[in-house]
Amino acid sequence: MAVADAQPIETVVPPTSAPDDVLRVEHISKRFGPVTALRDVNLHLRKGEVLGLLGDNGSGKSTLIKTISGFQKQDSGEMFLHGEPYRPRGVDDARSQGIDTVFQDLALIDELSVYHNMFLCREHVHHPIPLLANRRMKRETRTALDEIGINIPRIDVAVARLSGGQRQAIAVARTVNSDADILLLDEPLAAMGAKEGSMILDLVARLKAEGRVSIIMILHNYVHVLQACDRVSMIQDGVITLDKPTNETSVEELTEIVVNEYRRAREQERSERQAQG
Amino acid sequence: MSSVTGGPPASESQASGEGPEPRARSFDTHGPLARVLSLREGSIIVVAIVTAVYFSLETSNFLTGANFKTLLPYFAPLTILAAGEVFVMILGEIDLSIGAMYLFSPILFYKLSTAGISLVPSVVIALLCCMAVGAVNGFFTAVVGISSFVATLGMLFTFEGLSLIISHGAPVNTPGAEVHQTTVKVEHVVNGHHIFLTETVNHVGTFAKIFGAGTYSEFIWAIVIVFLLQTALTFTRWGLHTVAIGSNKLGAAEAGVSVRLITIRNFVLCSLTAGLVGILEAVRAGSVQPDPSGANEILFFAIASAVIGGTLLAGGSGTVIGALIGALFLGILQDGLILQGVNANYKLFYLGLAIIVAMTVNVYVQRARRGHGSG
Repeated sequence: MAVADAQPIETVVPPTSAPDDVLRVEHISKRFGPVTALRDVNLHLRKGEVLGLLGDNGSGKSTLIKTISGFQKQDSGEMFLHGEPYRPRGVDDARSQGIDTVFQDLALIDELSVYHNMFLCREHVHHPIPLLANRRMKRETRTALDEIGINIPRIDVAVARLSGGQRQAIAVARTVNSDADILLLDEPLAAMGAKEGSMILDLVARLKAEGRVSIIMILHNYVHVLQACDRVSMIQDGVITLDKPTNETSVEELTEIVVNEYRRAREQERSERQAQG
Repeated sequence: MSSVTGGPPASESQASGEGPEPRARSFDTHGPLARVLSLREGSIIVVAIVTAVYFSLETSNFLTGANFKTLLPYFAPLTILAAGEVFVMILGEIDLSIGAMYLFSPILFYKLSTAGISLVPSVVIALLCCMAVGAVNGFFTAVVGISSFVATLGMLFTFEGLSLIISHGAPVNTPGAEVHQTTVKVEHVVNGHHIFLTETVNHVGTFAKIFGAGTYSEFIWAIVIVFLLQTALTFTRWGLHTVAIGSNKLGAAEAGVSVRLITIRNFVLCSLTAGLVGILEAVRAGSVQPDPSGANEILFFAIASAVIGGTLLAGGSGTVIGALIGALFLGILQDGLILQGVNANYKLFYLGLAIIVAMTVNVYVQRARRGHGSG
């Protein structure tokens, strides 16, 4: 996490916007006690766009995602959804407004079956007695997983028994399968093998081609970013320092920015140590 | 049956045995015994049956209808208490205040009734007060963030103390449970002569018959409550979210489960069932005893029933049916020891040893069922 009184980074992206923005984030800040996770974040997301969010561990990526997803509230700043002020009261509220999230820890319940996880908090129930419509949920889960092309032999087993990649696929499928028009994916490829990973990237490409949903995706692999995203934003020390269409940047440029940041941080650390000594 | 007793879907799926896909575990293709064992509470079913068989071989009085009736008051109240407790324990919390609710509700019922409120409204108000206490337990646990063990321990002492204060520590007769005696002449035939002898018959009112004094009253309450709560646990969003919170609290919150609301609701349920048992037992016994040590003993047996029945103290897993079987097991033990003529001073000693032995066997049965040794 960034230190509160860190030196400001030279290039801070100011609030920008496009006429077809579905989501705008302006001057968001968030502290956890002495630690400032987000200092002044400006971000926008256009309709049908896939935005890649890059940043080191502790740069504030997940905090930003958790703020947009309604899991936690920002200390200051405003968010706008389709031009209207957006102040989610919780994850459920954000979801009802069309924003759904794959969290880094996947938010899967080990004890529950694949299909109960797929429909967690969105369960189908019978009427008038609200018992779970398990058969319908199983059927729809099977359809959704087949569409994505993920091989999960049994959907009535507890997710605890599945591999890391399968679990991640279920978490992604759950979000994609929702009615949301903005998807937030926090490291959707983290636990995946090459084959499963490319399946998710294919899925993202398909969603992009359909143009219905807009996606913010946290990724670590620059090649994946350039391949899957329309635009890339980099977050460093709680601020956005880069905002470029992916066809105007390259792996080399992204690497250079990160390396420079690393050097800068080390120099700062050294000077602090000298000041103390 | 399997889908009802299966609890959370992991075991439901193993027991249902459908679908052409390869089996995830080796045991679940091996017929009915393996199927029973594949249920979460399967092993304790086996242990309970073995215990019952032992006592029926050892004492001639065990397998009789009369003994079944004496067994009922042992396990029916425990079953209802444990059924509510299961909902709290699956969350990964614990409610110790059920002992206090068990004590407090009949005393409150007595006070309301003697203040001129009729019987059923008195019961309803007393139970509503218990639910309010449950809401406070849930508030301290889910909102304030006190550990539920400590919060409900505080409430246990507070409300046991309050029970002593408002009852002045004196036992009273339970309202509505008065016994009326009438004499009837019963015809007997002796050596071909018809003679009439007078016999005394005890009557209790309809209220008392329903609320605990009828022979099968508590048993029926227990069965109905177990059925409703197991259905709620397995087949409703409430049950699913309860398991979700106990299994992965952060993940459940991220998925949108309202952790606070469910936690408070389950504590309310737990206090309600405890208050109900307090009233049922007071009506059955005909008197309200302000006896905290007796209430604490009931509290321990109720939690033991839930744990013996397969509910994890750590949360995330458990069934109401298991709680019933756990209570039945404890009831069989107590009743069997009495029938064997065990000296009253030794009863608790043997009971304790028997629980430890049975639970050790239970662990080994579970290991056999899993097919490997990691308990």
